[in-house]
Amino acid sequence: MSTEGGPLADVKVLDFMWAIAGPGATRMLADYGATVVRVETTLRVDALRTVEPFLSNPPGAESSALFHNLNAGKRMLTLDLSKPEAREIALDLVRWADVVTESFTPKAMRSWGLDYESLRAVKPDIIMLSTCLMGQTGPAASFAGFGNLAAALTGFYHLCGWPDRPPAGPFGAYTDYIAPRFNAVALLAALDHRRRTGEGQHIDLSQAEAALHFLGPAVLDRTVNQRTQEPEGNCDLNHAPHGVYPAAGEDRWVAIAVINDAQFAALAEAMGRPEIGSDARFATAALRRQCQDELDEAIAAWTRAREASETETDLQLRGVPAHVVASSADLCADPQLVHRDHFVRLPHPTHESTLVEGSRFKLSRTPAKVEGPAPTYGCDNQYVLETILGYDEDHVTDLVIAGALE
Amino acid sequence: MLSSYKVLDLSTERGLMCGQVLGDLGADVIKVEPPGGSAARQLAPFYRDEPHPNRSLYWWSYNRNKRGITLDLECEEGQALLRQLVGGADFLIESESPGVMERRGLGYETLAALNPRLVYVSITPFGQDGPKAGYVDSDLIIMAAGGPLLLAGDADRPPVRVSVPQAYAHTCVDAAAAALIANHERARSGRGQHVDVSAQQAVTFATQSNIVASQIGEGKEFQRCAGGIRLGPFKVQFQWPAKDGYVSITFLFGSSFGPFTRRLMEAVHEAGFCDEATRDKDWIEYFAMLFTGAEPPEEYDRVMAIVAAFTESQTKAELFALARARGLLIAPIATTEELTVSEQLDARGYWQMQEHPELEDRFQYPGPFAKFSETPLAYRRRPPLVGEHNHEVYVQELGMSETDVADLQARGVL
Repeated sequence: MSTEGGPLADVKVLDFMWAIAGPGATRMLADYGATVVRVETTLRVDALRTVEPFLSNPPGAESSALFHNLNAGKRMLTLDLSKPEAREIALDLVRWADVVTESFTPKAMRSWGLDYESLRAVKPDIIMLSTCLMGQTGPAASFAGFGNLAAALTGFYHLCGWPDRPPAGPFGAYTDYIAPRFNAVALLAALDHRRRTGEGQHIDLSQAEAALHFLGPAVLDRTVNQRTQEPEGNCDLNHAPHGVYPAAGEDRWVAIAVINDAQFAALAEAMGRPEIGSDARFATAALRRQCQDELDEAIAAWTRAREASETETDLQLRGVPAHVVASSADLCADPQLVHRDHFVRLPHPTHESTLVEGSRFKLSRTPAKVEGPAPTYGCDNQYVLETILGYDEDHVTDLVIAGALE
Repeated sequence: MLSSYKVLDLSTERGLMCGQVLGDLGADVIKVEPPGGSAARQLAPFYRDEPHPNRSLYWWSYNRNKRGITLDLECEEGQALLRQLVGGADFLIESESPGVMERRGLGYETLAALNPRLVYVSITPFGQDGPKAGYVDSDLIIMAAGGPLLLAGDADRPPVRVSVPQAYAHTCVDAAAAALIANHERARSGRGQHVDVSAQQAVTFATQSNIVASQIGEGKEFQRCAGGIRLGPFKVQFQWPAKDGYVSITFLFGSSFGPFTRRLMEAVHEAGFCDEATRDKDWIEYFAMLFTGAEPPEEYDRVMAIVAAFTESQTKAELFALARARGLLIAPIATTEELTVSEQLDARGYWQMQEHPELEDRFQYPGPFAKFSETPLAYRRRPPLVGEHNHEVYVQELGMSETDVADLQARGVL
């Protein structure tokens, strides 16, 4: 929704994106004042709406907190793009928009007559972002799937786990947590280019290709040294000790990462084992890496009976990196996240209220603002058609009768 | 695309990727390092395992498309020179602990007074303020503090991270987006601002909104379950054995995912691993059947064993080809060796060969993060050597004399 003061108040986005990687990017733009019109159909449920956590049991199409979190502050128009009338509405919105975004497999927009060439024909300086798992071209372009599969294809999955077990893989649709950031960057850079030159363009962002930048050192280790890195549990190539240790209570853990020799001495002191800190066998990170099991055992013996938060505070006061391995309950009560206004409670038309995350960063002069909850199906149809596009009531009625707004 | 912008990148190992993203987009990024080079140059792995400031692959990964200069920001002369450089800069990126830049006389307020247009990006573990602003950190600590860590790993072991540091990669791309939002506004107002990026907050996105789970609905927290997810008493298996390793299969049910599972079971049946009745189970309603007991747990176990027998009879490549031909949610769990020879990445011309004249060699780097139709991203520069562009920046661009530069060099300011 457009705001008076948002830094992106002049940016209009027509957003066909679904699932996570796309909507995560346009949510960021909406927080900073862009008007985002999300197009969705009621005929095929966005997988995002079927993913936990839910606000109600049994869950309904409007009760996924993930959906709420990724779509807060956007407008929504429901469209059945298989109807010719719906395509005409879409093209009118293209004329209105600065940016069009979509995250289907490559053939979908073409099949609706909404590929880049078609958009450019009605709006020569349009910026279009197409993002999918593998990119718009190539033999695997049509491979559909979610970020868990791209995480497998790009090596994250293999590099997360224990040497003596099958790979565990990072949580969830991992590359979906990477791509939105690059999507936002790409759009903002293209907008800047258009402002200076008047030139629009088409951006083809492959989730797999963008995500590989997050594995840079391991990829170069392969291409430069021909070494294939294997999972190492929580060990680190440069630092030791470095791990996740048990704490008092069920499934409670504390992460500790010693990144220099002084921190190692401070850790040993905290453990009441100063002799470890001065032991020549543990004098450098390289030496400590060789006796990691022995050190891990000694550290676990110390952490096991203590509260994770007590270990965190104790070590942080001594300048040793440590933190509770936080659960949702920890995070929602975390004084730091609360101080940073990370959580935003919003009224919601279907549920009494919903809880979303605020902007992950702060701009000193033009702060983010979450304008409202995620839109429910069709809630802004009238606003979009009548206020944005200027259609009259009869026209809208005809569209309803034609089934274009399903 | 951003070639008209100048970026001063003062960041430590935490913030390097932010400047690289802007550099990939065309900005002129000057990496400012302490004399002798950034501490990030000490991080393994190294080219041929030879520890050397110009051979860290960690450094190579995040400093492409930058020029490199050295400058001691701890001394007054260095600070004065930096203030001079700030006059011509559009962006400044730093990742010191909160308060360090102020102590050096290089805080936002001071530099904004010199250059009101400056977009000043601060990347820190927990943000500029708040009770944990002074905490020390590392990748593992941030993944623990922001939520993703607890969600990954085997249920009977400690939570586990991706062994290549991830936290600051997430943070840095957020920081680049934040900088460009401030840049967009600056075009209207003519004024810059301070961008305050918290790594803890950046990685919360990798919890897939499970961060709020305890405060909504029934308040049920996610339970980690390596290679799958847990739904009530049932484990839904995502990681499956192949003849030559593992594949990931989104083996789920319901209206969105059930049709994929239906197609998978058709393939399993065609390969002779199950009967028609097994193939024809209601994969849309399968969860409900499990929960009500209409489908007994032993039958679920039998189905799992059938699917495993099928996947184990095929190679990763065969299963991926099948997935593409039949619209299945299957992908190989690739090693770095396998992904660097991916047919798809090759066909798209993804990899970039980067010349390293200092080693008389060239190396295969991950290619541009996106393909722009009108303004393709270019890899213009390999990561800089220590102080490689001192002469270019101090003498040619800042107009200092050769002797002054030599003098500063001799006294350890550069």
